[in-house]
Amino acid sequence: MERKEVISRIIESRKSLVQDLPGGINYEIEAEGGCGVTGFACSVPVRGKHIFEPSKQMHNRGNGRGGGIAAMGFDHKAMGVSKEVLEEDYILQIAVLEEGVMSDLENRFIKPCFRVDFSERLPHIDDYRDIPGMIVRPPEIRRYFVRVKSDVLDAFVNETGLMGLDRRMAEDEFVYRNSFNINKTFYDAFGKQCAFVVSHGRNFIILKIVGYAEEVVQYYKLEDFRAHVWIAHQRYPTKGRVWHPGGAHPFVGLNEALVHNGDFANYRSVAEYLRQRNIYPLFLTDTEVAALLFDLYSRTYGYPLEYVIEALAPTMERDFDRLSLEKQKIYRAIQATHIHGSPDGPWFFIIARNDTENKRLQLIGITDTSMLRPQVFALHDGEVQVGLICSEKQAIDATLKSLAEEYPRIGAVADRYWNARGGSYTDGGAFVFNLEEGNGNYLERRLTCTDKFGHEITVPTNQAAYIPDKGYSLMANEKKSGAELSVFFHENRPDPLYEYLKDGIKDWGYEGFFDCLREVNTWALRGDDCFETALDALTRLIDRRYPTYDKKRRSILQMTDRTLEGIFRRFPPLETPDGGRNREDNGVSCRLIDWNSRDILRGPIKGEEVLIIDGSLFPPEGEDCDSRLLANAYCMGWRRFIVFGLKGQRFHGCGIGPGSEGVRIDIYGSSGDYLGSGIDGLSIHVHGNAQDQVGQIMKSGKMVIYGDIGQTFMYGAKGGEVYVMGNAAGRPLINAVGRPRVVINGTCLDYLAESFMAGDPHNGGGFVVLNGMEFDSDGTVTPQSVPYPGSNLFSLASGGAIYVRDPHRTVDDQQLNGGEIVPLERRDWELVLPYLQENERLFGISIEDALLRVSGEKRDPLEVYRKVQPGKGETIAEDGLEEWGK
Amino acid sequence: MSSQSDFQFPEAVRTRSRFRNPIGKFRVNRTGDCIACGKCVEICPHGVHVERRGRVFVENNYLCVGTECPEPCYKTCPVQALSVRRNPVFDTLGDFRWTNELLAGTWYMAEFGEPPPAGLEYKVGNSGGGFDKLRLIFKGNGSRLEDIDLNLELNRRNDNAHRIRIEFPVYGGGMSYGSVSVTTMVSRARAAAALGTFSCTGEGGYPDELKPYDDHMITQVATGLFGVKEETIQRVKIVEFKYAQGAKPGLGGHLLGDKVTPGVARMREAVVGYPLFSPFPFHSVYSVEDHKKHVDWIKSINPKALVSVKVSTPTDVDMVAVGSYYAGAHIIHLDGSYGGTGAAPDIAKKNIAMPIEYAVPKVHRFLQEEGVRDKMTVIASGGIRTPHDVAKIIALGADGVCTGTADLVALECVRCQNCESGRGCARGIATTDPELSELMNIEWGTQRIINMYLAWRKELIRILKKLGMKSIKELTGRADCLIHLDYM
Repeated sequence: MERKEVISRIIESRKSLVQDLPGGINYEIEAEGGCGVTGFACSVPVRGKHIFEPSKQMHNRGNGRGGGIAAMGFDHKAMGVSKEVLEEDYILQIAVLEEGVMSDLENRFIKPCFRVDFSERLPHIDDYRDIPGMIVRPPEIRRYFVRVKSDVLDAFVNETGLMGLDRRMAEDEFVYRNSFNINKTFYDAFGKQCAFVVSHGRNFIILKIVGYAEEVVQYYKLEDFRAHVWIAHQRYPTKGRVWHPGGAHPFVGLNEALVHNGDFANYRSVAEYLRQRNIYPLFLTDTEVAALLFDLYSRTYGYPLEYVIEALAPTMERDFDRLSLEKQKIYRAIQATHIHGSPDGPWFFIIARNDTENKRLQLIGITDTSMLRPQVFALHDGEVQVGLICSEKQAIDATLKSLAEEYPRIGAVADRYWNARGGSYTDGGAFVFNLEEGNGNYLERRLTCTDKFGHEITVPTNQAAYIPDKGYSLMANEKKSGAELSVFFHENRPDPLYEYLKDGIKDWGYEGFFDCLREVNTWALRGDDCFETALDALTRLIDRRYPTYDKKRRSILQMTDRTLEGIFRRFPPLETPDGGRNREDNGVSCRLIDWNSRDILRGPIKGEEVLIIDGSLFPPEGEDCDSRLLANAYCMGWRRFIVFGLKGQRFHGCGIGPGSEGVRIDIYGSSGDYLGSGIDGLSIHVHGNAQDQVGQIMKSGKMVIYGDIGQTFMYGAKGGEVYVMGNAAGRPLINAVGRPRVVINGTCLDYLAESFMAGDPHNGGGFVVLNGMEFDSDGTVTPQSVPYPGSNLFSLASGGAIYVRDPHRTVDDQQLNGGEIVPLERRDWELVLPYLQENERLFGISIEDALLRVSGEKRDPLEVYRKVQPGKGETIAEDGLEEWGK
Repeated sequence: MSSQSDFQFPEAVRTRSRFRNPIGKFRVNRTGDCIACGKCVEICPHGVHVERRGRVFVENNYLCVGTECPEPCYKTCPVQALSVRRNPVFDTLGDFRWTNELLAGTWYMAEFGEPPPAGLEYKVGNSGGGFDKLRLIFKGNGSRLEDIDLNLELNRRNDNAHRIRIEFPVYGGGMSYGSVSVTTMVSRARAAAALGTFSCTGEGGYPDELKPYDDHMITQVATGLFGVKEETIQRVKIVEFKYAQGAKPGLGGHLLGDKVTPGVARMREAVVGYPLFSPFPFHSVYSVEDHKKHVDWIKSINPKALVSVKVSTPTDVDMVAVGSYYAGAHIIHLDGSYGGTGAAPDIAKKNIAMPIEYAVPKVHRFLQEEGVRDKMTVIASGGIRTPHDVAKIIALGADGVCTGTADLVALECVRCQNCESGRGCARGIATTDPELSELMNIEWGTQRIINMYLAWRKELIRILKKLGMKSIKELTGRADCLIHLDYM
C-alpha cells in the first residue's frame, strides 16, 4: 500500500471518532495570555527539583491558574518496571477529577484492549493545602504501562483498513484514538469533567494542575524523580476564578509534549483545518491544537522534523528567496497544502519529543515567523551536556545554577546563548536538542544540537571545564602569583592586571587561575583604590573576549563571577557606621545593601560613594523590587551603584528621572526586562547579556551592553549613546526619534529601525552603526556571514541613517521599504568614527585591525561601510514642505 | 479632584460664537414693512431681535426656536413684517451621528451653560443605532433631593497610588498635539482643572503650556511612544496606556506629513514634513504577561500614578478587562467605535469591534462575576455626545465616560470631516498651523468647554432626580432604566 493511501485511510477512518461530536466546532476559546515556558535536556537524568527554580523565577509570567510539567527519559528502576517495559510500553496517565469513575473507565477503555504491565496511583503529598497558595486540589493520577493486546490490534487494523501501516504505528494510532475516546466520554469542556488522559506516550509523562508549575513538582513529589528532559509551563489565563487542570499545558500529541507561549489569531481556521482531517480539539485552547498539528504532521503525514517546522512556521519573503531552489520547491508545496493550519500570531513552542523510531529524545524550540515572543536557547557542553530553551535568559541561568549546585560537572554558565530567527533561511527559527543513546547505556546519552536545517551547533571540544569539587590547590612550591600581583595594586593599574590574568590562562591550570583570583580577592578588600583596580580587571575578564586555550570560557566566567560576588559581599553593610570592620583600612567608600537590610536605606554620609546592591533576594518587580530601592537611593543622594546577583529583576535605572548625568550603574548577573527604559542622563553598564525592552523611550545618557540584547531594544527612544557588543534580537529601535546613536557590533534578527525618525545625522540626528561582527572561540573579531539577514531594514523610516559594515554588498534593495542605499561619504565616516573609537575602547573591537580589514586587507572606510537613509520617495510632498521653511 | 467635598464648580459665563453669523436652525426675515415698534424685541424670550438707534434688527437668528416659541414674533408683529423659516444652511450641517440639531444644541450649551430651551433635539442623534436607539425611562415621580452627587473615585484598588476623585463623571480623552492645536489642548486642560476633572495629552508629547495643569492631566503611553519620557510620566497623576482606539482598532495612528509642522516635529522629535506612524500594537506587548510587565514598568517610573488601560472593544474585551485588573491597572477604558474625528478612516469607524453598548455590559457583568467589579473603574468612550449618552452608558455598566469630539464641537467644530487634510481644520481646532490656530484664544475655548459641561452636569442632575437617585454611582449597571426602541 502506498504511503499516500495509508495517510488517507488513517484520516478517513478517524471519522468515526468525531462524527458524533457536535456539528460546528465550538470556537469559544479560553482567553489565554502569554506565559512563561522553560525546558532543558540533559545527557544524564536529573531531578525534578531543577525545573523548580526556573519555574519559580517565571512566576511573573503566570498567575497561578495553570501550571504543568513534562518529563521524558527515565530510569526504569525508578518507575518500577523493566527496561523493556519502560521503552516499549505506553505510559497512560489518567487524571481523575471525579471519584468513582475509574472502574467504569478501566472496564471500558483499559482492560478490554490493553495488556497492563504495571499500574499505580501516583503518590502525592497528603494535603494540597500544605502548599501555600494552592487553592484547587490537583487531580489524582493513575498510571498504567500498557501495550495493545495483539488480537485487539489485529481487529483494529482490519476494521480501519490500515494493513499497510507498520504494526507499531498502528498501535500508536490505536492508543491515540483510545485516549480520544476516553476524553470524549469523561471530559466535556462545557459540562461534566470526570477524567481525562494527561499523557500516553512512551517514556514520558505530563502532569498539570491549577497552580504554578513548580507546585506540580512539590505536590507529586518529583523533587527527586529523575528524567533526561524537563519542560514546564506557567500559565496566565484571564478567565475564571477557578479553572480545571485540563486546560493547563503541556498538551500531548502522542509521543510529544508541547508547551506554548502566546496565542493564535487564527485558532478558528486552524481548528477548521484539523476538523477537515477528522481531528477535534476537546480542551478549547490553542495549545491543544498546536500539539494536534504537530502530531498530524509528524505521525500521520510522516514528515521529517524540518518539514513539520516549515508547516508550522513557514519561511516567508526574502528568506524564502534565499533558500535553494530545491528547498523552495518542497517548501512551496508544504505551504500550499498547510498554510491554513499554520498558526498565526505570536507563539513560541517548546516540545519534548520521544522520537521512538530513531531511539532518541528531543527537546525542540520553535519560534513563529514574526518572532513576537521572547526566546533564548543555550548549550552547555562538557562531561555532562545540557541544552536549554526558555522565555528568558534568567530562567536558563537559574536552571544551570540549580543543576550546578548538585552536579559539579555542570557549570553555572552555558557555553553558548542565542536567539532563533523565526521562519528564516539562516536557522529556520527552530533548534533541536537530540539525546541519543551512547554505548547502549540509555542513562548516559549524548546531546547534540541542530537547527531546522540540520546544521549542528557546536562548541570547541578541546577545552576542559572547571569542576569545583576537584579541589584545585597548589603545592607550596607552585605558588607564583603573590608578589607579582602586589605591583598592580600598589600602582593601581587594572589594565596590566587584566592582561596578566588573561595571559595567565594559557599557562596556568585552573588551580593557578583560581589561586590568582583568590589573591585578587584579598587585595580587593584593602581600600578603595585596590578595590577599583580589582573590580576593573575582573569586570574586564567577564566583559571581554579572549582566547581561553585549554579552558572553557564558561568556567573562567563562572570563577570570575564568584570571585566578584565574594568581594561585593564582603563590603560593610549600610548600617555599619564604621565601614572598616572587614577591611584593613577605614577609607572604604562602598556600602552593601541587600534584601534583609533594605529597610535601613539612607543617604550617603561622608566618604560613602558607592552603593552595592545585592539583588539576589529581591522580587523582580513591584514595590519591593531592587530597582525601586535604587531609585529611592538616588533620591537620597547616592550616585554610583553596583547591582549584582540578579536573577531577572527588572526595571533597573527606571524612575530616576531627568537630569541624572553623572550617575553610573553597573549591572552584574542576569539582568531583566525594561532595563534603563526611560533613562535621561545616567549611564548603565550591563556586564553580560541584556534582556527585552531595554532602553525604551531612553532620552539621553549612555548604555553599554557587554553581550547580546533582547527584543524591542530602544523602542521609541529619543536619544542616548548605546554600545552593544553582540547581537540584538527582533525589532530594535522601532519608532525611535531624536538623536539616538547606537553601535551594534553583531547583527539583528529583523525589523531594525522600522519607522526610524531621527532627523538628519549630520545635523544632530541619530543613527545606528551595524557592524555584523562576531567573536570566534578564540576571542577574535570576525565578520558574520552577512551583516543583516532580515527581510526588513529601515522600513518606513523618515530620518536618521544606518551605517552598515557591508564590504561585500550583501544588503540589497529587497530588504528596504522606503529606504535607499547610498555610498558612504567622508563626512559620514567622520561622524561615526568617534563612536567606533569609543566602541574599540569598550569592547576591544579594533577599527584598524578588525572593522576595516576585509579578507585580511586593510580597506578604506568608504569601501567597507554603506549607508542606508530614508528614500526621497514620493510619499513626501516636497512643495508642501517649502511653506514651512526651516 | 481633592477629597474635600466643598469643591466649587465655576459659574457659566456667556461666551458667544467666534463667528459673526452663527448657524442656527431658523432664519427670521424682516421686510421693509417694519415700523420699528419694538414689539418683537419685547416679546422674544431668546434675544433674537435687538433695537439700536431707533431701528430693529434680527441679530441672533441662531437663537430662534422657531415654531416652538410660545409667543412667536411673526404672529405678534402688527404689520406682518416678520416671517420665520428653516435655515437652508442648517440642513447642510452634521451627519447621522452628530446631527445638525445636536451640533447646534451643543453650541448653545457652550455659549450659555444651559441646555437649549426648545426647538432643538439635543439629546439623541439620528444614527439609527447605538445610543440613538436607547431611551431612559423614568418610573415614579422622581425625587426632590437637592444634594445630587456626581463625583467618582478613580482609584478603587485602594493601593498605594494616588486617591483621586473627579467631581463629575467625565474626563477628557486623549487628543495629541499634532492632531489638535495647543490652544485646543490648553483650553481642554483649563476646563478640566476648573471642573475638577482630567484631560489627556494624547500621544504627541506634553507641551510645556500644559505644565500648570499637571494635576489635571493624564498622559498617554501609546504605541508610537511619541513624546513619552520619564519626565512626562512622572509629571502626572494618571498614566493611560493606549492599546487601541475604538474608532480605528488595529490600525495604529498616522499623522500625515502635512500636519508634521516644525512645532509638531520638535515636540515629537521627528522630521518636519514626514508622516508619523504609530504602530498598531505595542511592539513590546503581545500578551497579558507582557502587559503586566508594561504596567509594572510605568509604576516603577511613577509609583503613585494611577494606571488606565485604554482598549477597543473586541469580542473578548471582558478578558482584556480582567487581565488588566490582574496586571494592576486602576481604570479600564473601553473605547467604542462610534467616536473618531475626521482623521479616523471611514472604513474603520463603527465597522470594527463590538458596539460600545454591548461591550460595557459585558465587561461590567464579567468583572462582577470575577468579584473585582468594585476594584476597577470602568470608563466608556467613543461617541459620547450628550449628557443623555453619559447616563445611558453608565446605566449599562460604566462608572464614567471620556469625551473627545464633544469638546471640539463646543469649540465650534462643524464636523466637516477634514481634520486630517492639508493644514487641518478650517476652524482652527484640529490644526497645528500657526495661522489657523489663531482663530481661537484660550480664554474663549476654556469657557466654552466649561459651559458645555456645566450644562451636561445640570442635565445629569435632572436625570438622576427623575430616576430618584442620589448619586451617579447608583446608576451604574441599572440597565433596567433603559429601553431599546426596537425591543420595546
